[in-house]
Amino acid sequence: MAGMKTATGDYIDSSWELQVFVGEEEPQAQSVTLRVTGESHIGGVLLKIVEQINRKQDWSDYAIWWEQKKQWLLQTHWTLDKYGILADARLFFGPQHRPVVLRLPNRRALRLRASFSQPLFQAVAAICRLLSIRHPEELSLLRTLEKKEKKKKEKEPEEEVYDLTQVVLAGGVAPALFRGMPAHFSDSAQTEACYHMLSRPQPPPDPLLLQRLPRPSSLLDKTKLHSRWLDSSRCLMQQDVKAGDTLWLRFKYYSFFDLDPKADPVRLTQLYEQARWDLLLEEIDCTEEEMMVFAALQYHINKLSQSGEVGEPAGTDPGLDDLDAALNNLEVKLEGSAPTDMLDSLTTIPELKDNLRIFRPRKLTLKGYRQHWVVFKETTLSYYKSQEEAPGDPVQQLNLKGCEVVPDVNVSGQKFCIKLLVPSPEGMSEVYLRCQDEQQYARWMAGCRLASKGRTMADSSYASEVQAILAFLSLQRAGGGGAGNQPQGPDASAEGLNPYGLVSPRFQRKFKAKQLTPRILEAHQNVAQLSLSEAQLRFLQAWQSLPDFGISYFTVRFKGSKKDEILGIANNRLIRIDLAVGDVVKTWRFSNMRQWNVNWDIRQVAIEFDEHINVAFSCMSASCRIVHEYIGGYIFLSTRERARGEELDEDLFLQLTGGHEAF
Amino acid sequence: MALCICITSFHSCYLCNAFFKGGITESKGNCVRKLNSSCQIPFHRVHLSLDFHQPRVRGHSPACQPSVGAPLAPRCKAARREPHVCALRGRAGLTPLPPRGRGPEPGWSRVHGVAFPAGAPTPTRAPPSARQVPSKCPPRPCRSVKMGESNEDIDQMFSHLLGEMDLLTKSLGVDTLPPPDPKPPRAEFNFSVGFKDLNESLNALEDQDLDALMADLVADISEAEQRTIQAQRESSQDQLHSASLEKSNFSGAASLGYGADMAVTSTSQYGDELPPPPADPMLDLPLPPPPPEPLSQEEQEAAAKADKIKLALEKLKEAKVKKLVVKVHMNDNSTKSLMVDERQLARDILDNLFEKTHCDCNIDWCLYEIYPELQIERFFEDHENVVEVLSDWTRDTENKVVFLEKEEKYAVFKNPQNFYLDNKGKKESKETNGKMNAKNKESLLEESFCGTSIIVPELEGALYLKEDGKKSWKKRYFLLRASGIYYVPKGKTKTSRDLACFIQFENVNIYYGTQCKMRYKAPTDYCFVLKHPQIQKESQYIKYLCCDDARTLNQWVTGIRIAKYGKTLYDNYQRAMARAGLASRWTNVGTGNAATPAPPSTGLKTGTAQANGQIPQAAHSVSTVLNEADRQVDTPKDKKPALSNHDPGTPRAQHLPKSSLPPPPPVRRSSDTGSSPVMPAKGAAGGLPPLLDDSLPPPPPPPPLEDDELPPPPPDFDEAPPDFVPPPPPWDAGASLPPPPPPPPALAPEATKPSPVVAKRPPVPPKRQENPAPASGGGGGEQDFMSDLMKALQKKRGNVA
Repeated sequence: MAGMKTATGDYIDSSWELQVFVGEEEPQAQSVTLRVTGESHIGGVLLKIVEQINRKQDWSDYAIWWEQKKQWLLQTHWTLDKYGILADARLFFGPQHRPVVLRLPNRRALRLRASFSQPLFQAVAAICRLLSIRHPEELSLLRTLEKKEKKKKEKEPEEEVYDLTQVVLAGGVAPALFRGMPAHFSDSAQTEACYHMLSRPQPPPDPLLLQRLPRPSSLLDKTKLHSRWLDSSRCLMQQDVKAGDTLWLRFKYYSFFDLDPKADPVRLTQLYEQARWDLLLEEIDCTEEEMMVFAALQYHINKLSQSGEVGEPAGTDPGLDDLDAALNNLEVKLEGSAPTDMLDSLTTIPELKDNLRIFRPRKLTLKGYRQHWVVFKETTLSYYKSQEEAPGDPVQQLNLKGCEVVPDVNVSGQKFCIKLLVPSPEGMSEVYLRCQDEQQYARWMAGCRLASKGRTMADSSYASEVQAILAFLSLQRAGGGGAGNQPQGPDASAEGLNPYGLVSPRFQRKFKAKQLTPRILEAHQNVAQLSLSEAQLRFLQAWQSLPDFGISYFTVRFKGSKKDEILGIANNRLIRIDLAVGDVVKTWRFSNMRQWNVNWDIRQVAIEFDEHINVAFSCMSASCRIVHEYIGGYIFLSTRERARGEELDEDLFLQLTGGHEAF
Repeated sequence: MALCICITSFHSCYLCNAFFKGGITESKGNCVRKLNSSCQIPFHRVHLSLDFHQPRVRGHSPACQPSVGAPLAPRCKAARREPHVCALRGRAGLTPLPPRGRGPEPGWSRVHGVAFPAGAPTPTRAPPSARQVPSKCPPRPCRSVKMGESNEDIDQMFSHLLGEMDLLTKSLGVDTLPPPDPKPPRAEFNFSVGFKDLNESLNALEDQDLDALMADLVADISEAEQRTIQAQRESSQDQLHSASLEKSNFSGAASLGYGADMAVTSTSQYGDELPPPPADPMLDLPLPPPPPEPLSQEEQEAAAKADKIKLALEKLKEAKVKKLVVKVHMNDNSTKSLMVDERQLARDILDNLFEKTHCDCNIDWCLYEIYPELQIERFFEDHENVVEVLSDWTRDTENKVVFLEKEEKYAVFKNPQNFYLDNKGKKESKETNGKMNAKNKESLLEESFCGTSIIVPELEGALYLKEDGKKSWKKRYFLLRASGIYYVPKGKTKTSRDLACFIQFENVNIYYGTQCKMRYKAPTDYCFVLKHPQIQKESQYIKYLCCDDARTLNQWVTGIRIAKYGKTLYDNYQRAMARAGLASRWTNVGTGNAATPAPPSTGLKTGTAQANGQIPQAAHSVSTVLNEADRQVDTPKDKKPALSNHDPGTPRAQHLPKSSLPPPPPVRRSSDTGSSPVMPAKGAAGGLPPLLDDSLPPPPPPPPLEDDELPPPPPDFDEAPPDFVPPPPPWDAGASLPPPPPPPPALAPEATKPSPVVAKRPPVPPKRQENPAPASGGGGGEQDFMSDLMKALQKKRGNVA
């Protein structure tokens, strides 16, 4: 035992004094001094420290951190000699789990305890278990953006930081569900709120905020994000993360395995949020048409989550659904070839009759809208010169099945038009119907929409369709009415649809709100029937269908080339992109890859593909470790199999993504 | 007592929507003319929109009149108690069938508890031509006919009628036809040629009548029963009401219960004695017409109303399943006519054609739609509903459907690298592309089609666009995205933000353009065309695009298909592969199938059972078999990778040459196809052993569709307890019919069928004759239909309320 003394107090063994600071790394940390020898085991040292501190406390999470070597002394059976610790070592006796503030994909802040001693890969896995996100291998942590202090001190509204630091997870077991959420969330109202934050989509952001947030303006900007990824083979402590620091939690690898709305409410929601912010902040480009679909889905998702309809659509009796389906079925069948006069008596199909103004756009026509007597029955629209002539032959008869219905509405201008593009063997005929008021418009519009899908107004969805249209109109009055080109504050978005919160700033600039609203609503009618999770999935699918989806950009310089180029890494390929033009120069697929090597000294990655194609490049925008980890990570992800479930081959991952020792 | 069974058959050609609408008021002559005119449509599509035939029993003998009141009630009861006895008499020589296992429906069980399928004259021994006879010879005594299984009866009769129609249209005036009835007043019920009289009677009706019927239909059940009983003592008018009321209780099988009631009432009204059982229709074919008897006003009303009710029900039923006869052109310039109903997908039709043509069933076979007028063509995707597409054709169209091989159809799955990895035409990539190995292809496909979202091939390049309505072609830079085709506007870059949408795929189909160079002065002949499926004539809404070469054209067309159909395309491909694999197994099967007798339950029921024209379920059941095979095949594959070569359903197998290992020749069970006509298809499908597991006895492949009219399981088959199947009748195991060999045996009769107008499939007489229970399992369909109706009614009521 270290510290044997003679009677005079001289030490007779080879023991020496070791100073250990207690607590986290602070300059003025209290310290204890121990008498140790080189043969002392770490475990013994820990025991002595605790004895010396002489405080009743749970020390189980505490371990020794060796500052100079940036190393945790976690092997309790190792001796000090084995670690090479001498008297001058600065050791800190502190907790391995420390609070950090995580910035989630939905941009909310969450304080929780993360492991500072395990490799990041494991630490993230633990965090994800806490947040009940499956497949943690797809996520990782980034450092925050350095705050530019020079900016004028804007009063940032004090934002709510959710706190999960008190929550302790029973290790190993998958958390059981309790009251619809993992049991550890159901402890208090606070944690419950936190779970809702995690599992429910957030309302659309304030458009002003959107405009203020940094957006990449070029490919070069897009590479910046990726320089901030933390190293997954090292622990947080080693990467100079301090307790209380803010980190971003993001899906790093765009390969989402086994996404299951039932099992993954949090994962799905966070993924959706990340995709949404990607789009809103123009991290990924899309076309106007695509943006409208995204906006409509966001609108729909927001509406559902606000109304509390989480999960599947509110418990309609499946039996009723069946019945409806059967009815729809029958009705659809009936209307096709049914003789009207016979069947009407059996299943009366409601019809609309009214005086509407009709306009048929033609080349070289001077005629405007003209009043007609219009009868809308089943899926057929007939119009007559006047009501008196109705029994006779109509001026025109249009079967709306398969037609395009486009609203042309301006509530403030009291303009309620329905543009119909009706297909016929000869082509499409365009007809505009102009209604007098909202009520009339809603009825006719709903009828037209159903008819275009081949259903009649007898369809059970007719009434709800009418209601939905009326709701839209009121939204439009509230939202897009007189707003002009100025984005509105958050208060406006509270009550209605503020389209600016749903589209990226580029489109905010391009369109006026009142132009945007109808387009979003038009796109919305195609998704209005989706449940929350379906809509989220649809959003993700549309996101994944974008050509630029899932590409992480790095500035690299290829061997033998003098200029910087962009390397895009996607889940299945590497893409060489011309920096100036943005064109794809060359694509290499991982499936053709033989091996890759990293030269850590000259920061160069060399990759060999089939048929002796060799590529080498050095990374300019980020450490080559990040590039290496990306490639290895994607290859690791491609080895996942459904059969293995969620268990992770961490060794393989670290081998594929690890540092020097990997190859 | 003289009673007659009137078979009303009511046909109109496909384009006769108008006919139906106007038909009620139009003259009978019109009706007939329309039917005939359909023959002249170059593409023989006949919409047999209504094929209703219902035995109706009417009294014609004046002698019946006096006894209206007294014997009515007891007789009625008697009729109800032994429906099949009555029916037996009416049917002349049929053996009664044991009661079906299906539980009686509440509310009508008393009347129709024994669901007897013989209500319709289907199972007669008469050959098709003779089958018309009863309708032409009104005075056939038939006391009461229960319409227990009206649905399948209708279907059967439908096919009979198709056969008859065939003969009739072919050979009017052949001696099988009785001379036209000389008695004008009776013409209304005497359908010597079939179609006219119904119309007349309909004309006599007023609209309110049907409204009244409607009200009655929704009347309350107990009341209905009460009133039924009362009604039998009252005037025929009231009886009609009660009949219709009662009918509302006879959900399902009893949809034609009305007819039954009519039978009952008329019997008791006019019949003095029980009529003797009718002689075999064959024998007494030249029956003398009944004595002329002007019908009373009341009677006429009743009859007219009856007709109208029936017609309404017919229409409902007809509206439910639309059928077309489609003439498919073969690549050898021959044609085949197929009965296609609206539920059938292109895949089902291909399967039918495979059976008919003995082709190799490979995945390249497709239905090909050609528009000569627009000079465009495309293949049907396997999941497309054929009737829906054909409905868009105009009446006088020259469009046709061809059955041919197109390797473009699934080229993307055979060589995905040509579409996904093509580096915009660079030479080097082309060279390497050829060599992609199966494993890489597989992973590429998996990556592209099996993820959360499918990947649309990245396609971009300059194409020529024919400007709307103009003759000029303009070069533009187009890009394909999942959301549509975009182009780069002048002076803009091709970044996403600048793109302008050219077209989205929701409402358009993609076609190949042919000879555009000649017709539209296109820069090349490699054109593709996007148009709304309903557009049939030249129009500015049709978009013409022109590529530089065939390769680009195929890439674009395929890319657009992937963007439009998504994963469905891949599913189609896998089904096609499964089908092709099955077919290759079949060829082996064909030789060695004499051995092991199989339990009858393993076979899918085949055409022997019913020829009722309901193809779709049959086809579906095939697909379920395929799916089943797929699934079952998948499972062993996981455990026994070695077997995967045989596995048509797994991706790996798809890339392997089918012939690499001959599939184990499954032993055909001799009785498979022929012996279990009453077997529910579901049970059959479920009982199909896994196809590829060696440890199991070699699987019997699903029996071939020897006939298009493979009997359908009822739509709501699930409701039927699986064990309700009556034991297979002893006769059918092959005594009269040898078990059909795998390739369709029924081809011969079809081939001889000349008239395209009508379904080619007259039921094979011997089969039917032997089969007392042809309709087994079919009742569910009717039930389904009626419950649909009831639901609709209830809903209507709810709405009104």
